[in-house]
Amino acid sequence: MSEPEDQMLTDDEDDFDCAYYDGDDIDIREDFDDEKCNSDAEQAKIESLDTFQVERLLNESVASLIEVSRITPSLAKILLLSYNWDVKKIHEMLNKDTEGTLLKSGVKPMSTAKRPANNTCLVCYHEDEELRALCCGHGFCVHCWKAYFETRLSEGVSSKISCMASNCMLVAPPEFVLRALDKASLRAKYERFLYRDYVMSHPELRFCVGKDCLMVVRSKETKPKKATCTKCKTSFCVICGVDYHAPTSCDTIKKWLIKCADDSETANYISAHTKDCPQCHACIEKNGGCNHMQCAKCKHHFCWMCFGDWKSHGSEYYVCSRYKENPSVAAEANHVKARRALEKYLHYFERYENHNKSLKMEEELREKIKRKIDAKVNEHEGTWIDWQYLHTAATLLARCRYTLQYTYPFAYYLEKGPRKDLFEYQQGLLEKEVEELAWAVERAGTSDRGALEAHMHRAEHKRITLLQDFFFSPSEYDAPSSSKFR
Amino acid sequence: MTTPSRRRLMRDFKKLQEDPPAGVSGAPTENNILTWEAIIFGPQDTPFEDGTFKLSLEFTEEYPNKPPTVKFISKMFHPNVYNDGSICLDILQNRWSPTYDVAAILTSIQSLLDEPNPNSPANSLAAQLYQESRREYEKRVQQIVEQSWLNFGENEGEAEQKEGENTAIETPTEGGEGPSEPRDHDAPSGSGSV
Repeated sequence: MSEPEDQMLTDDEDDFDCAYYDGDDIDIREDFDDEKCNSDAEQAKIESLDTFQVERLLNESVASLIEVSRITPSLAKILLLSYNWDVKKIHEMLNKDTEGTLLKSGVKPMSTAKRPANNTCLVCYHEDEELRALCCGHGFCVHCWKAYFETRLSEGVSSKISCMASNCMLVAPPEFVLRALDKASLRAKYERFLYRDYVMSHPELRFCVGKDCLMVVRSKETKPKKATCTKCKTSFCVICGVDYHAPTSCDTIKKWLIKCADDSETANYISAHTKDCPQCHACIEKNGGCNHMQCAKCKHHFCWMCFGDWKSHGSEYYVCSRYKENPSVAAEANHVKARRALEKYLHYFERYENHNKSLKMEEELREKIKRKIDAKVNEHEGTWIDWQYLHTAATLLARCRYTLQYTYPFAYYLEKGPRKDLFEYQQGLLEKEVEELAWAVERAGTSDRGALEAHMHRAEHKRITLLQDFFFSPSEYDAPSSSKFR
Repeated sequence: MTTPSRRRLMRDFKKLQEDPPAGVSGAPTENNILTWEAIIFGPQDTPFEDGTFKLSLEFTEEYPNKPPTVKFISKMFHPNVYNDGSICLDILQNRWSPTYDVAAILTSIQSLLDEPNPNSPANSLAAQLYQESRREYEKRVQQIVEQSWLNFGENEGEAEQKEGENTAIETPTEGGEGPSEPRDHDAPSGSGSV
């Protein structure tokens, strides 16, 4: 089994040498983080739009619909909203069944009414009022319209407020609503809600998830790639909006996050924050990102996850990331099964959570490295450019660990079989490289730069191989498994 | 204090008295126009015939832009009525229109009695029996029809009187017999007037 894989890895290596390091060493240093990332296959092709640009984009759709169907702009917007801004589809529908399409989307009234006798408003029953009506003719007084719109607005409804008459589905166009609302604050609220509805109904648009960020991200991406807002720099999945989660799919990560929210208390309780040294049993708190631990007391090297001697990790293939399933599970009693299910979940959760914690601690490490570089430059030990590779290494470490973290939800939901074996094999390789890189980065500055860069290269290569096989080119295995989670 | 909602409820009340729809009646409680009590008589030629079902209607200041909360106080056995008396009816939720008034609500609930919507069951047993065993369903309905007389006896004719001491102090007694002395075991005069 190992032979064809080795073959495959070498093939990939050639590919990625081209894609990632198509320049000399200096290029890598300078651009690893920024420019190369943009050409990175994980980045979704996006456009960041501000409110003005979004309005312009929406108005273009409106204009193209008006051109083909000759309706007013505000009715065109109602129509576009109910057909998710698909001008082509609306045009088709209008050609097929003009009447039905207009009725269904609330642009045309089902029935029209005559003006009530004595100008009586049929909501408040006051006579001789100044009545206003949509094109359906259901007349109501200004006060009632206003109160009605205010109530709907307080319920969060804006773009789909229908006529007040019973069974009348005609949608009130914005200018009608705005004319009835007299308070400027309410008009602003209505327009804000309307804008939100327009963006949310548009398949290519998504609000940036950054706190208080008003930018809208436009993308035609169909894969759950990474989107980064150009303004607030927040990264998120372009499809579902949660933290970027390759190689895991949107459905799987949703399931996983729900599961974690339900179970993590138990998990926290079961796995405490400290562990004892396997050799001298001194209590050890993990204070760095690296899983390669050295007991301060007895100097024993061990792995934080499996408690094995670290030496066994270095010389042979890293088995720590692989959960060993007991083949005789089916025969066991239910409570044993439940216990096993919990154990399995905890296995993956612990590793997922552990990488998450490591990421946070390595963020501090990155700050420390920055300060170290500053100090060195101040002491005239080389220039900033000379030490930049340390910072690049820390950034790359974060990226690799991030992907590694999200391999665990993927593995948890992966069914047993050769595909899972392959995945866990690659996960194990990445795990090993990441920990070696972390060990090297934590001691960087004193150690050999060439060795560090070799670690960086290997870790990134393993990461890309894994993503390439399980995220960018999902095989036929993925189709049924992802649809199952829907 | 008059507000648009209270003025509208006064007008609803006036309309109910001047132009009462067949088989329903209702009135605000003595001290709060936002809380109403109503009676729906079971429609003729249905299993609910002769039943006198009491309901409560809770309005808010947003009425008629928001529907009231309507509940059966009398025990009910119906596919679209929950055990606590809440009613699953589209016009009381998403299909509500500000043009509906109390008369429209009560007549809609009255017609719901014999035209249940089995697709949105609030009482799964009632929905199941309605579809699979109509005889058993009608037997269960007959039981709650009889129970409705017992409770109704307590303040008989109150709906027609439009108000009275007993309206305010009356406590809904759920689940059958109740503590009251059943003064009037016969069908109440109310059903005769339908």
